[in-house]
Amino acid sequence: MLSLRTLLRHPIQFALMTLGIALGVAVMVGIDLANASAERAFDLSASAITGRATHAIVAGSGGVDETLYVRLRTDPQWRSQFESAPTVRAFVVSPQLGEIPFTLLGIDPFAEAPFRSYLGGGQGFDFQSITPLLTQPGAILLSAPTAERYGLTPCLGEFNDSCHLEFSINGRTRSTYLVGLLEPSNDFARRALDTLVITDIATAQSLTGTAGELTQIDLILPEDYDTAALTAALPAGNLLVASATRNDQVNTMTAAFRVNLTALSLLALVVGIFLIYNTMTFSVIQRRAMFGTLRSLGYTREQVFGMVLGEAALVGALGAGIGLGLGVLLGQGAVQMVTQTINDLFFVVSVRGVQIPASSLLKGGLAGLLASLLAAAPPAWEAASVPPRLALSRSGLENKASVAVNLAAVLGILAALVGGLILRIPTRDLVVSFTGTFAVVIGLAALTPFVTVTLMRLLNYPLAALFGLLGRLAPRNIIRSQSRTAVAVAALMIAVSVTIGVQVMITSFRTTVTLWLDQTLQGDIYVSAQGLSATRLDTPLDPEVVASARSYPLAQSSAVVRVVSAETESGSVDLVAATTTPLDARILLDGNPENVVKEMKEGAILLSEPLAARLGIDSANATFPLLTPDGWFQFPVAGVYADYASTRGTIRMDIDVYRSLWKDNTLNGVSLTLIPSADVDSVTADLRGQLIGFKRVQVNPSGALRDDAIKIFDRTFAITIAMQLVTTLVAFIGVLSSLLALQLEKAREMGILRALGLTLTEMRRLTFWETGLLGASAGLLALPTGAILAWILIFIINQRSFGWTLQMQPEPLPFVQAFVLAVSAALLAAVYPAWRLSRMQTAEALRGE
Amino acid sequence: MTAFLRFYDLTKSYYEGDMQRVVLQNAHAKFQPGEMTAIIGKSGSGKSTLLNLISGIDAPDSGQIWVDGRDLASLSERERTLFRRAHIGFIFQFFNLIPTLTVGENISLPLELNRVPHAQAQKKAKDFLDSVGLVDRWATFPEKLSGGEQQRVALARALVHDPLLILADEPTGNLDEETGAQVMSLLAKLTREQGRTLLMVTHSVEAASYADRVLRLSHGQLVTER
Repeated sequence: MLSLRTLLRHPIQFALMTLGIALGVAVMVGIDLANASAERAFDLSASAITGRATHAIVAGSGGVDETLYVRLRTDPQWRSQFESAPTVRAFVVSPQLGEIPFTLLGIDPFAEAPFRSYLGGGQGFDFQSITPLLTQPGAILLSAPTAERYGLTPCLGEFNDSCHLEFSINGRTRSTYLVGLLEPSNDFARRALDTLVITDIATAQSLTGTAGELTQIDLILPEDYDTAALTAALPAGNLLVASATRNDQVNTMTAAFRVNLTALSLLALVVGIFLIYNTMTFSVIQRRAMFGTLRSLGYTREQVFGMVLGEAALVGALGAGIGLGLGVLLGQGAVQMVTQTINDLFFVVSVRGVQIPASSLLKGGLAGLLASLLAAAPPAWEAASVPPRLALSRSGLENKASVAVNLAAVLGILAALVGGLILRIPTRDLVVSFTGTFAVVIGLAALTPFVTVTLMRLLNYPLAALFGLLGRLAPRNIIRSQSRTAVAVAALMIAVSVTIGVQVMITSFRTTVTLWLDQTLQGDIYVSAQGLSATRLDTPLDPEVVASARSYPLAQSSAVVRVVSAETESGSVDLVAATTTPLDARILLDGNPENVVKEMKEGAILLSEPLAARLGIDSANATFPLLTPDGWFQFPVAGVYADYASTRGTIRMDIDVYRSLWKDNTLNGVSLTLIPSADVDSVTADLRGQLIGFKRVQVNPSGALRDDAIKIFDRTFAITIAMQLVTTLVAFIGVLSSLLALQLEKAREMGILRALGLTLTEMRRLTFWETGLLGASAGLLALPTGAILAWILIFIINQRSFGWTLQMQPEPLPFVQAFVLAVSAALLAAVYPAWRLSRMQTAEALRGE
Repeated sequence: MTAFLRFYDLTKSYYEGDMQRVVLQNAHAKFQPGEMTAIIGKSGSGKSTLLNLISGIDAPDSGQIWVDGRDLASLSERERTLFRRAHIGFIFQFFNLIPTLTVGENISLPLELNRVPHAQAQKKAKDFLDSVGLVDRWATFPEKLSGGEQQRVALARALVHDPLLILADEPTGNLDEETGAQVMSLLAKLTREQGRTLLMVTHSVEAASYADRVLRLSHGQLVTER
């Protein structure tokens, strides 16, 4: 009762504290929901496609020859040993399905039953559409809820618009017909089928233009099955892989991305903890006399401790409750951003709506509550320690605070050093890396009060000389209100340093990527087919398009590229086979730029930096095995090159070497270098006109591609910036709450000053001087802290997360902006307290003993 | 002699909830330069309110207050504040020293507000602290001082900027009898030495005995008691 009454007596503080925790929890829950939704969407689509298969036979980009499947089904040696089923897969989009990526899954209905139970509850296909699926060209099936969502109904005898779907598959437009619906028998089946287009294997081969080929053959091998014989029996170029391992490899790639987001989201909560700590400490300090009275009336230490914790629990529970609601809303927006980034950088995933797992809500709610209790525990202990007699005087408190300031500085330096040592541990474990980063940042934050006090002592005389009484009073007041303001200023310092760190990291990244794009996009015009990912050329070009582009009269030279998936011993990677041109020394991170062209033409490959980092290959003289249609082949590694388009890992190979080994003449892109007198824009327009008959073919000048790439880059960091803003908002609330409480407490002091002749304007000015100086000290310490954080983010977190080497660009702008932000946030936070002070009745304030 | 301080028809009322409470009703009085006057009255009779009106901290509902030939009621809030800063010294019952400033800083405050150069202000403040016998407590924080010592510091602060008028609100109200007498004796001495006008609100008969004149505030009116 006493707790509730205390909170209600200071409703603004109560509201701000609750809002701080609510925002912290909201960001955490929002990101968690977005991550969980993306991860679940991937798991679901992986398990939907994998089904009960334990293994699969794959063969890289060329696909598995379907005769192998026939052999497995008919050869008595294999037929009795395991179940097998063929699949053909492709990512497809259709205007009738909202242009979002669906997976086209071609199956053999008669082999399906043991594999994907959701297609028929394990009893085989129990739908009436089996006949049209097998006999009707272009026949497809969708789940009933999906069809209903897009207003599609199956053809009943005649084929009309409501059952006609046009798909873009591998750069070509194909007509299909919905001939039946799958009724999901349970929730898993419903979600598994959500973005699947089911068709017969032959139809799938026809739609994808892969006659005679299978994407893979799924197998259910008995437990403890010895795979040696099967592996040995596979034709060259085919590989037996465990399904779970394969899905894990893909999912692990996004783990670093998700851990980064989670760490950033936790930061808002950490700042929220500072806010609670600050407000609760303040509240306890203000009520020391009351606690002394309660103790003398017979309250035990435990009761007083419980009372303060009870207040925190109330704030935590309310804040967490509001935070969960906000988090769900935030998750809706965040999931789009997260999915977009995963599509841009990793793989195609389609997330329909936010999943709200109870575990995410429970985690967020508990984090909010525990954070509040944790933050309130030290002040609660302080309250419980009040002796049942005279309360400690204000000057005594400030003396105590001054000792704490020095102690915090020593502990802070120690924490930062320990953080530095943790960061030196050579690991790719991001939890360890972020622990080190947090220790460094919080350690430096603990230095804030010391820096503030030192700065104020240094400024005391110059400010007094320049601005008279106010210039003298403001720094003095700050030094003597450390017990009230130190933690809020430290929280502001953290938020501002994160702003600097993230901004410098993004600027450095942007500059590095821009340089890289300039060196990579050396052609004038690029012809490609629109695919599902913004950063990968995954759609084949029609040979006629290639021929038209290459024979364009104003083209001085042309280069071609083929992008396929290739199997390595540790999963699949992107293989980029292109016309070999000399590489800029800044792009080639390891290897001899003078020899690299020759070596590549002779069969050597280049590894992208993230791939080399992931596999621990750092020597240009190593060899690297790749699965070719003729089996494993050891390729000499000519070097490691910078690649910021994907963290999945890319291998570059000369196009002629690729063609001779893969026997594949398909191309995904052509780049043209025009004669010097040609106008790029008019050639682009002319070429677009010539290729107008080819749907989804894109002709872009290199400038447009560069702009697109930068747009994707900015999109990737939109969520980072959004979260960083929320962290700053929480810190701002902390400062506002702290100042409000301080002004409330200082009302009598201000009343005395007013009685002695301080004018209203001077009183307001004094408030702004004090808060401006608080902001300035937070901003000042944030400058080196932000630079350190930027260095950690660029050279440790980024390296360990994605394997990218960035060039640090410590431009002055983010530092200036951050300093201005710190001072402005503090000044803005002072507006309301200053307004309240100016409405204060001096006579009342003087009476308020 | 022209009165240094005078007020006419001074009326002030407050709202306590919906109820209006009139504390001063057409009150009037005159005070001569260098005169020490005590105002006595029951708790809640409006004594402190009267001091707040005279100092310009509060504004009357009606009436005029003339201090040294200036009508405070005609001044703006800012002008009243500046007038108070320059010409009025305050002594409060609860001392009202600023807890985060040292004794020296507290005494220097009115001088700094009046833009007296720092070195000069320091010297003058030290002299005043010496005159109240506490020069060795210059760098001490108020809470380290006894009540009597705090009130002596408050005395020094009230007088340091040579105000025309000193307003004292129950200056001995929070002190024991002996300490109260010491403080009153010091206040009377310094006020008389410097020829200041003192208006003191008090419950204490002993404190009132130091005054040249005693007025009683009763039912919103001031009547001469002695």
